[in-house]
Amino acid sequence: MSDRLSVGLNCPSCGGAISVTEGESTTNCRYCGSTLYIEGDNGVGTVVFKNKLDRDAAIKATQVWWRKGFKARDLKNVGTITEVYPIYLPFWSIGTRVAGWVCGYEERSTTDSKGNTRTEKVYKEEMVLQDLHYSDIACDPGDLGIRSVPNFSGEASFEDMDMIPTFESTTSHDDAIANAKADAIERGRESANVPNITFEKFHVLVRKVSMIYYPVWVVRYTYQDRMYMATVDGVTGRMLSGRAPGDPLYQSLAVTAGTSLGGLAAAGGIITLISFDSEVGIAGVILGLIVFGATYWFFRHGSEIVQGEFPDRKELSMRINGQTMMDRIRGLRI
Amino acid sequence: MKVVQVKCPNCDLPLNMEMKDELFYCSNCGTMHTREAQRVEQIPYEIADFRKDTLIDNRVYIPFWRLCTDFRIRSRDVVGGFFDKLRQGLNGDNGSGSLYIFVPASHMDTAAFRYWAVHLTLNNPRYTTRADFAGTRRMPASTSRDEAIEMADFVALTLEAEKPGVLQYLDYSLTVQQAKVVYLPFMSSPSGLHLAW
Repeated sequence: MSDRLSVGLNCPSCGGAISVTEGESTTNCRYCGSTLYIEGDNGVGTVVFKNKLDRDAAIKATQVWWRKGFKARDLKNVGTITEVYPIYLPFWSIGTRVAGWVCGYEERSTTDSKGNTRTEKVYKEEMVLQDLHYSDIACDPGDLGIRSVPNFSGEASFEDMDMIPTFESTTSHDDAIANAKADAIERGRESANVPNITFEKFHVLVRKVSMIYYPVWVVRYTYQDRMYMATVDGVTGRMLSGRAPGDPLYQSLAVTAGTSLGGLAAAGGIITLISFDSEVGIAGVILGLIVFGATYWFFRHGSEIVQGEFPDRKELSMRINGQTMMDRIRGLRI
Repeated sequence: MKVVQVKCPNCDLPLNMEMKDELFYCSNCGTMHTREAQRVEQIPYEIADFRKDTLIDNRVYIPFWRLCTDFRIRSRDVVGGFFDKLRQGLNGDNGSGSLYIFVPASHMDTAAFRYWAVHLTLNNPRYTTRADFAGTRRMPASTSRDEAIEMADFVALTLEAEKPGVLQYLDYSLTVQQAKVVYLPFMSSPSGLHLAW
């Protein structure tokens, strides 16, 4: 992020308000010109984004979201908002530069006209030199469906921290740095694209480390006696994540259309294969199976529409110190 | 989070630098220092003089870490590069020895970083030094000494990998014996930066 942020601190020389670029540790006072050094915890700069939404705006954003996609058509009429409240979520924001070399080889097989297959080694030495950015939530996201910083632009202010419940970071500074470095090496290795590695050496420089506290509105609602949850970006007002009921009509239509199209494609493929011994027939069968698979997927998951970064459904029941994420949110609610 | 006014560790005067720089320079006594958390450390440095015909308005100093290193190759495996291997065999040269490695201390994009690091390491600059910056603008530094040492390893490896043949394995050691910041004179022009000594 290149935007300069007002961080709620004052120059120790003249008392003027200080603005800094996120993650940087030096600045000059724009009033008296003094050179200033910002000492963060372990060199970490903390940025708190100002909440720009109110309760009504969060509800409105959720209700607009209800009308989009394949969600239940009567959700906008039947859905009932039960709870709306803001929370601050902590995120690590780390800039890195990865530099290194990856050496090794790739095996390429060629088949000649007589059907003989020959494998040859293509030797490779690839340089990696990239600037990367790593962002990850600093607490357990539980079933919020949020993992990375939603947005990097906005007004920064500490004043909301007293008003809005804040999740404390549960990931240490050292762990975050280690994760950012491991991420940089992994991405560097992938970009080198050397299948069989015989030698590699990477160096990762950590350029900026920031802890970003970001406001998120949690909206809980019911639909036909079932509880659902959605989250709204407290800075931009856009939907971040959520679960919503699907529509049985869309599921039925999808199954009818999918099985018909899949069956036609597969049957056509089989007939073409038998009659003309053509590769087009195999393609038809594969296409039919893909359509069947997609139809099954929509039927299986269409009962609930999910938006957001949910890495694994199993995390829904994840407990932290004996409490689920929802228990913790309820405990923090004002 | 706490804000402190930066003072020179030598003469204790507050600094009023016009730019944000990780290398804090005291224009009163000429001391340069770095800060990391609460650790303050004085940094040795040199300022190279400009060529006389360089237009004053176009002058800019760019800081580099100059690392005096001992680079030892224990074993290597290179595919191809027959003539280079033959030359090394005849000369008894295995690429080991003292090496002055230059690492840009300013933020540069990756292409510029690589170019200047490799170019200056292969062609060590010779220059006359001067005592101060004489009002010439300089690019701020953003790379610490420890980071420069990390990148010196990358530069040494790059020199080795860019020799003829395809490198497959390298067992080596790189020991840094001395680190110093060197402000090299550059001339900025519409086509980019050019050395000016």
